[in-house]
Amino acid sequence: MASLSTTTSTGTGDSIRSFADLRRQTRLLSSRAASNAQLGRRLPGVVRASRSSPRLNGRKLRVAVVGGGPAGGAAAEALAKGGVETILIERKLDNCKPCGGAIPLCMVDEFGLPLDLIDRRVTKMKMISPSNVAVDIGRTLGPHEYIGMVRREVLDAYLRGRAADAGASVINGLFLRLDQPEGPGGSYKIHYNEYSAGGGGAGERRTEEVDAVVGADGANSRVAKSIGAGEYEYAIAFQERVRIPEAKMEYYKERAEMYVGDDVSPDFYGWVFPKCDHVAVGTGTVTHKTDIKKFQAATRLRAKDKIEGGTIIRVEAHPIPEHPRPRRVLGRVALVGDAAGYVTKCSGEGIYFAAKSGRMCAEAIVEGSENGTRMIDESDIRKYLEKFDKMYWPTYKVLDILQKVFYRSNAAREAFVEMCADDYVQKMTFDSYLYKRVVPGNPLDDLKLAVNTIGSLVRANALGREMDKLTL
Amino acid sequence: MLMASLSPSPPPTSLSALSLKSHPSLRFQSILFPRKLPSLLLSRSADNGAGVVSSAPTVVQEEEKEKKNEEETPSPAVAEVPKAEDEQKSNLAANGAAVKAEAAAVPKFKDTRWVGGTWDLKQFKKNGETDWDAVVDAEVRRRKWLQDNPEASSDDEPVLFDTSIIPWWTWVKRFHLPEAEILNGRAAMVGFFMAYFVDSLTGVGLVDQTGNFFCKTLLFIAVAGVLLIRKNEDIDNLKKILEETTFYDKQWQATWQEDQTSSASKEK
Repeated sequence: MASLSTTTSTGTGDSIRSFADLRRQTRLLSSRAASNAQLGRRLPGVVRASRSSPRLNGRKLRVAVVGGGPAGGAAAEALAKGGVETILIERKLDNCKPCGGAIPLCMVDEFGLPLDLIDRRVTKMKMISPSNVAVDIGRTLGPHEYIGMVRREVLDAYLRGRAADAGASVINGLFLRLDQPEGPGGSYKIHYNEYSAGGGGAGERRTEEVDAVVGADGANSRVAKSIGAGEYEYAIAFQERVRIPEAKMEYYKERAEMYVGDDVSPDFYGWVFPKCDHVAVGTGTVTHKTDIKKFQAATRLRAKDKIEGGTIIRVEAHPIPEHPRPRRVLGRVALVGDAAGYVTKCSGEGIYFAAKSGRMCAEAIVEGSENGTRMIDESDIRKYLEKFDKMYWPTYKVLDILQKVFYRSNAAREAFVEMCADDYVQKMTFDSYLYKRVVPGNPLDDLKLAVNTIGSLVRANALGREMDKLTL
Repeated sequence: MLMASLSPSPPPTSLSALSLKSHPSLRFQSILFPRKLPSLLLSRSADNGAGVVSSAPTVVQEEEKEKKNEEETPSPAVAEVPKAEDEQKSNLAANGAAVKAEAAAVPKFKDTRWVGGTWDLKQFKKNGETDWDAVVDAEVRRRKWLQDNPEASSDDEPVLFDTSIIPWWTWVKRFHLPEAEILNGRAAMVGFFMAYFVDSLTGVGLVDQTGNFFCKTLLFIAVAGVLLIRKNEDIDNLKKILEETTFYDKQWQATWQEDQTSSASKEK
């Protein structure tokens, strides 16, 4: 396999190969790994490693899902539905995860979420530039289109409930660590503290033997640590929940606001999102975490008139991963959701990708194990990675480019807000957010958009340079 | 830069000669602002809550100016049309507002030409036509002001100004042409001397050089260099940008990279 040796010799840190190239290497490797199979009989390009894996005698495949958020809940449900014996370990069943709480329409469809889960339907968004140029986006939304705002405790509990209904056992416990299997077909031993019903106490030490582990335990994932998945940069999102007077709440009934500016965040944005009966005012940053309180004060100042007279009922902060961990799969342990680092840049959206990745991983396990009858191996789980990367890479890349271009400086942010005033931009933005698809528009419109973008950036940067020369 | 020479030094006696209507060109603005401070004090602004120091009799005027000088950033020009003088009320208000201005130290952006959330183009007339340069200057000042003193965004007074109303030739004349002149000058100098050296070294004349592939490559490199590297920092910036474009890709592919190395090392 001469080609393989050349690729391994060039190794990491080299020029970027396309995903297709890398996946081809993986296929070659996984087919090599399933060495006792006859390659000739296989369909070209389809590797069924499970054909070579041993059948499980008299038992089903056992998988532990660590973490009961959207990723864990979706994974556990798909696993249980696929006939795999699933346990879902969640440390706090009533956890009110601090979160923006926005979900796209496609999530409601794909996961069959009942509409009463959604507290508010945001149909208007206001983007506010550093110099307070305010642009309303949402003009192009249809009457049935909206951004759903949910309470995480409600959503998470619902998804876990569905997993339990499908046959998964939900355990209230804190995952401690896992032990690697002895041999290639051995099982993983997971150690966790089980909390008794009614809470209280440190919980009982328990261990379980499972065939595979899905790490869905969030940004500070212990499963990730167990497999040495590596670190990632993360943003700190800081949020205050403010209960504002009814009259002011009316303004936010269907409206969310995004504030951009160096005062509010050097690399992210400040927001005011409506929740069930209060608003969440917050901001985030990657590079200047120590100044987060300053940024929060600036966000409050920018929204001052609209949240005046409100009382802060809760203050919360949470880390948001910036990019995937260097290692997302090792052996039969997979990471999904925030634990893997599937949060988009620019908008910081994570709920949908967490749930989707959980489901995809579970489906890959189900397929690789032929509904729980066979043992799986790493290549089966890598199929989920491949599928996820291929499906969503364009989305992530586009948002990364947007962040790099438009969050660079105040001038770029001004251009960004100016661009958002355009109807075509709004339509494209919402289409790609709500349905996670990019419908190629009229090429003439695209050209006009490109010209307008460049124009906005040039103008804003010209003004920006003049601003630097100025000292008031 | 003229704006940097902003020092509130002109004597108050010139007050009476002052007209509230601002001059369109930048040159006058820097001199006008300090003068406007005392005029601020003469007129009365309707909303003291904005933190703008309102009017006061001339006695207080000196002190106010004193206080203003000490502050880092001087107040912007007066916004409201002066109402009918009411000295007593304004006196009290001035003291209160002065205290508030000190305490808040975040005066709102005000400018006579900023009306209803956008620039009133009628006030930018020069020789009967809109002076777009002044509009650009005014917008630059506004953005700089708001960058240093962020303000609450208000639905009642929305900002509606869009830079695309400024015609393209203003941008070209002001920003593109000077830069283009510099770059073309550099390209001409480099081109002339390169042509001379190549000729002296190889004997290939200018006309023959333009037909030679190697020389055309050199020309391409020279033009690209002049366009891309305008300041010393640009070399580093370009390297950083190149790295940036592929950094995110590398992060995503990390899990695939190690698949090859790990599988090569351990026999599966």
